[in-house]
Amino acid sequence: MRKTISTLLAVALAAGAAFSAHGAAAQDYPAQPITIIVPFSAGGPTDTVTRLVAQAMSEDLGQQIVVQNVGGAGGTLGAAQAATAAADGYTLLLHHIGMSTAPALYQSLPYDPQTDFAPIGLVTEVPMTIVARRDFEPETLEDLLAHIRENGENITYANAGVGAASQLCGMLLMDALDTRMTEVPYQGTGPAMTDLLGGQIDMMCDQTTNTTTQIQAGEIKAYAVTTPERIDALPDVPTAAEGGLENFELAIWHGLYAPVGTDPAIVERLSASLQTALATETVAQSFADLGTAPVPADQATPDALAEKLATQTELWAEVVAAAGVTPQ
Amino acid sequence: MDLISSLGLGFSVALDPINILYCFIGVLLGTLVGVLPGIGPTATIAMLLPITFSLPAETALIMLAGIYYGAQYGGSTTAILINLPGESSAAVTAIDGYQMARNGRAGPALATAALGSFFAGTVATFLLAAFAPPLARAALSFGAPEYFSLIVLGLLVSIALAHGSVLKALAMIVLGLLLGMVGQDIYTGTPRFTFGLRELFGGLNFVSVAVGVFGIAEILRNLEDETERDVGIRKVTNLWLTREDFRRIVWPVLRGTGLGAVLGVLPGGGHVLSAFASYSAEKRLSKTPREFGKGMIEGVAGPESANNAAAQTSFIPLMTLGIPAHPVMALMIGAFILQGITPGPNVINQQPALFWGIIASMWVGNVLLVVLNLPLIGLWVRMLSIPYRVLFPAIVVFAAIGTFSINQNIYDVYAIAFFGIVGYALIRFGCEPAPLLLGFVLGPLLEEHLRRAMIISRGDPSVFVTRPISATLLALALLAVVIAVLPSIRRKREEVFVEED
Amino acid sequence: MAINAARNDLASGGIFVAFGAYFVLEAMTYEFGTPLRMGPGFMPVVLGAILVLLGIAVIFKAFARPEEEARRPVPWRGIVLVLGTIVFFAATIRGLGFIPVVLVTAFASAMASRNNRWLSAAIIAAGLCVLCLAVFVVGLGLIVPLVGPWLRF
Repeated sequence: MRKTISTLLAVALAAGAAFSAHGAAAQDYPAQPITIIVPFSAGGPTDTVTRLVAQAMSEDLGQQIVVQNVGGAGGTLGAAQAATAAADGYTLLLHHIGMSTAPALYQSLPYDPQTDFAPIGLVTEVPMTIVARRDFEPETLEDLLAHIRENGENITYANAGVGAASQLCGMLLMDALDTRMTEVPYQGTGPAMTDLLGGQIDMMCDQTTNTTTQIQAGEIKAYAVTTPERIDALPDVPTAAEGGLENFELAIWHGLYAPVGTDPAIVERLSASLQTALATETVAQSFADLGTAPVPADQATPDALAEKLATQTELWAEVVAAAGVTPQ
Repeated sequence: MDLISSLGLGFSVALDPINILYCFIGVLLGTLVGVLPGIGPTATIAMLLPITFSLPAETALIMLAGIYYGAQYGGSTTAILINLPGESSAAVTAIDGYQMARNGRAGPALATAALGSFFAGTVATFLLAAFAPPLARAALSFGAPEYFSLIVLGLLVSIALAHGSVLKALAMIVLGLLLGMVGQDIYTGTPRFTFGLRELFGGLNFVSVAVGVFGIAEILRNLEDETERDVGIRKVTNLWLTREDFRRIVWPVLRGTGLGAVLGVLPGGGHVLSAFASYSAEKRLSKTPREFGKGMIEGVAGPESANNAAAQTSFIPLMTLGIPAHPVMALMIGAFILQGITPGPNVINQQPALFWGIIASMWVGNVLLVVLNLPLIGLWVRMLSIPYRVLFPAIVVFAAIGTFSINQNIYDVYAIAFFGIVGYALIRFGCEPAPLLLGFVLGPLLEEHLRRAMIISRGDPSVFVTRPISATLLALALLAVVIAVLPSIRRKREEVFVEED
Repeated sequence: MAINAARNDLASGGIFVAFGAYFVLEAMTYEFGTPLRMGPGFMPVVLGAILVLLGIAVIFKAFARPEEEARRPVPWRGIVLVLGTIVFFAATIRGLGFIPVVLVTAFASAMASRNNRWLSAAIIAAGLCVLCLAVFVVGLGLIVPLVGPWLRF
């Protein structure tokens, strides 16, 4: 009987070994399906961006790309898993601005965003919009700023939880105006938008991925976009600078990373593939529908992403500290 | 465009042979994957989502809707056959459905689930077609105070879930509420009860808790005395409903459909309550409430209808406002966007063929579900004739792999073992697992809405009684308690010695 | 009479008190907050205290009535093997990989039944392993090493 077991085991192990044997050499890369970890749950904006890019990259690389959602703890669980994955180019991470805010928001991260990853390239920078419920009194951004200065904590500001884009934007806004509003956290953007549509809360600042269709339909009021230029999807919405809010620039940038130690040739190949993917018509069109655009080819490079990560990490360390948020 | 021509447009899309084919494949795959222990509808859809990417938009979304119904029904099947719910509503189905299966009536239980779901789905689809925009507007008038009051009402009414001690059921609800609070506090980010593990920051996984307190605990109970189990399974008598069964399920299905359709529209937690509310209602209205929990067909018919109606009407906020009501709807949004459609208030006007096509296909999906699953009932029931010594290791292995595959989080698997032993101990000592699961799913919502209501009202608790909808709901809750307590006080006086609790 | 107290009520009440107490004590270390801004500790402290009270009430009722049913045997073998294999699965799935872990898990949990012998458990394990490979790895595309890094040379 024992013999039966050991025989079975041996057969199974042999079969398994045959299955899992693969060469990690750069020249025949990619020889097996690639996994991109998204550190958020399926269906969210980051997940959507990833799936769009993954589809296009998969065509370029001639290999299947699987998107794996590892959500939790503000994206740090998925990032941690990617950091410890084999550096063979078959496990990648697509993360957003949270990569740079995590060191300020979380204690004892098991990875260092800047040294444990090999950056591949920037993917997109999603603009933010400052929006309010339909019947909120201020008409323009100037009115709004005056209104906030005057009413301060009587204004309710929705955010989608710790580390969410909407929370970061709120911090930055309150920092710029040197006043406090009453922050109302939600479990994600969906419920926050529901309450904004229902007029239960006053205002919010969130990514165009979440707000564009609502603004276009006139369901919510838009005051400004947080990019230097107006965006195509919302031509009537002024930039923050036009509306009198200087030096207020914020975009939710997304980057693609490999674990540190990945063969530079593979990183190079992935970066080239990312640039090809971002240049395709389908990606450009889908991104435009979301109110964003692919970054230009010279940004979809390891160097550009590394620099972005470094400067943003520094910026958010200051803003988060100024907002009095203690890391968890 | 009037309703008839809109629906005509919708059916011209949905009845395209290719679309019917993909809808059927979706229903089939959804059922097969949803039946796996440890994999609920959310996980099923997340896993099967990529299959739809390469299809044209309408076809992809129609297939996805098929997957959704299939997954939902597959989850109920596992709940009935092996007491292993994959989502909160199936936990209610498991209470009486599993007992029916143990009594040799798995066939009628599964048929009831299929028929109830079909009827509810049909009614809810019509509601969706006719009244989606106004219903969505009405749902928006629900703010944090209203949701808080609704959940309080739901919790108080649901004490009826217990068929034993009310005191223990209350304690199980509260324990569930507390377990629901594990994880990072959304208001401050403070990690609570996480033992410093970041894997627990997102909270305990529902599937881990459900698989533990239902599935694993049941296996341990069966291992107590193995001869008893093999004798205990009665001969499967019939696969189909008797005339008497039909008579008994008519009203529960109708009431369940109504309750579910209304609750499903509310994006802040209504969907979760529907099955529990329906079960409570049926038990209250029954002439033999004590038989609930021992295999009452009404306890399957009501919740299954309510759940499916809610599943359908929860598309209303998504399709008309672009708001996801629950995780499955969030996945759907992702799927929409990948197809180049951003769900929002404009879809109905800009893409009428798509909008009405999806609605029509929901009905087609429900038809296919019944067509597919009624013949499959024989197959599922035959699964019960697998010797238990083979079946239970399979459940353990599938549950572990299934739970692991959701998030690749090994703590989700450890949690199965923890809740297996805790659940087994509590059940052995006369407690029931369903109230615990209800508390677990409602706990975070209860706290979230209470705290949000207080922040928005600037600390004034009177919002709960000055806002009319909230005040009405609280009054109903009070009424529910009075109705529940009065007769039991009277009875206690009469039956001091017979009262079993 | 205390000896005759319903053991089930005593035990379940005890579990409730223990859980409630844990949640209260742990939540005391979190910020309690004010009614306007309830802290993370508010709800757990309140609910934990309610659970303790309910647990005490259950215990109290235990003394009001005698033991009613015969004790059932405790399935020690099942508890150890079933829960043990789940823990084993979690601890080793990343390291040992899918095939060895599923084989061991299926074999050990099958052995939890007294009706299974070595041979039948081995057959069950092999069958389940093939089935799970087909369903999860081939069918659903689960991403996990078939033979993990601990077993590679």
